[in-house]
Amino acid sequence: MAALLRGLRVGRALRGFGSVPKTSSPQCNGLRRGFHCAALRLQEDKDKSIPVPPSSAASSTTTYHEHYQAHPSKNNTATHMQEAPAPEAGAKEAPQPNTSYADQSGEQGEEYETEEQLQAHILNAALDFVQLHGWTLEAISAGAETLGLSAASSGMFQNGAGDLVLHFIAQCNAQLTEQMAEQHNQVQLGQAEPKKTAEFLRDAVETRLRMLTPYMDNWPQAMSILLLPHNIPDSLKHLSTLVDDIWYYAGDRSTDLNWYTKRAALTGIYNTTELVMIQDSSEDFQDTWNFLENRIQDIVNTAGAAKQAASTGEAVAQGLLGAAVTLKNLTGINQRR
Amino acid sequence: MLRVDHAGEYGANRIYAGQMAVLGRSQTGQLIQEMWDQEKKHLAKFNEILAENRVRPTLLLPLWNVAGFLLGAGTALLGKEGAMACTVAVEESISEHYNSQIRALMEEDPDRYVELLKLIKEFRDDEMEHHDTGLEHDAESLPGYKVLKGAIQLGCTAAIFVSQRL
Repeated sequence: MAALLRGLRVGRALRGFGSVPKTSSPQCNGLRRGFHCAALRLQEDKDKSIPVPPSSAASSTTTYHEHYQAHPSKNNTATHMQEAPAPEAGAKEAPQPNTSYADQSGEQGEEYETEEQLQAHILNAALDFVQLHGWTLEAISAGAETLGLSAASSGMFQNGAGDLVLHFIAQCNAQLTEQMAEQHNQVQLGQAEPKKTAEFLRDAVETRLRMLTPYMDNWPQAMSILLLPHNIPDSLKHLSTLVDDIWYYAGDRSTDLNWYTKRAALTGIYNTTELVMIQDSSEDFQDTWNFLENRIQDIVNTAGAAKQAASTGEAVAQGLLGAAVTLKNLTGINQRR
Repeated sequence: MLRVDHAGEYGANRIYAGQMAVLGRSQTGQLIQEMWDQEKKHLAKFNEILAENRVRPTLLLPLWNVAGFLLGAGTALLGKEGAMACTVAVEESISEHYNSQIRALMEEDPDRYVELLKLIKEFRDDEMEHHDTGLEHDAESLPGYKVLKGAIQLGCTAAIFVSQRL
């Protein structure tokens, strides 16, 4: 009964937080945990007496602290907090030891559904401090503090500033993909004209690079962080997904070697334009956009030139064959005697 | 997985192209042309699927381009039986590959992959047909048939392995 009340207060706390959207999978996780804990409750009767303060929007941070400190020792105690939303689900699961650090959804059900979401929340808050502290752990700590968490929460990020930068570019890429998908839908619905490829590429790269403008002063630092050896796989992955998405929405459906050449070309354009942007001091980065325009024109020209070369080559080959046959006829080789 | 299928159909196309280049004007030209047309349809279908599912094509496509053509032309130079033997070997490899894919898909989730399963089964049946056609046309009468078949099938297995990764 008491747990039920606590569960209701949990619900209120979650709604109070508002900005953290609930997703279905952590909820399911919660359900499973709920059953897990329901099964364990009988064993854990004595644990109920451990005071878990009622969650409300104001004190949720202290609850978080409690969890954060309590986590290493008492994995199962707080899972009974999730009992309230659990009852309707019918699944019975064999109790598993809750040792996975990433699988804390039951414990942190009070404020955030998953640890990933909490981390995302902190990193988002940290972005505001990048201008002040640069892409560093200080920025992350400052961000954590605005959420009411201790500055030591930045210790959660094993990769430190790398986490912040990677989070930021993942966010930017997601935004860009959303915009492109939206445009794509509009074109499908016939509400907008499809853009020409060159124009589309230019707009996409410009949109993506403009997302960097608020952080332009510190961006070189971010780029160098991305070049650290342990960050390279992730940053390459983000870059290749970005380029693949842009080409896909630009209409590329090639299934041969062009797939690779197009993406390689766009990667080159994107990287060089980014570098130009860093040392661009013109009004509204006009120099950068001019540079971008020129590079894209280069690609278009090369593609056109390649096509022309191919068709010329074909024409030349056919001409030569014709000449050879004519010669054979003239010299009488073709005639059977 | 789709990448390998795509590479496979591409390679098969090139093999038939090679065979046609050598034997095109002979009696078997007609037969090879028919089988080639079916392969072209398969390839077109896979191109579609690849684009839809945003799958990366294999980086080795140019290699399969050349290798396939050479294989087709080379075996065709051994005569009609050579070309047929090559067809038998390749089609057997491909059918085996499709069968294992069908098994894998069935194990994983037959309902989700209903369309794909239907497609692969259809293609596998086509390939088996080519295989049987090859046998009908005296593939086995080629001297060194077993050796050639073994070598080609080894090559196919290697190609599948590499295309999955690259």
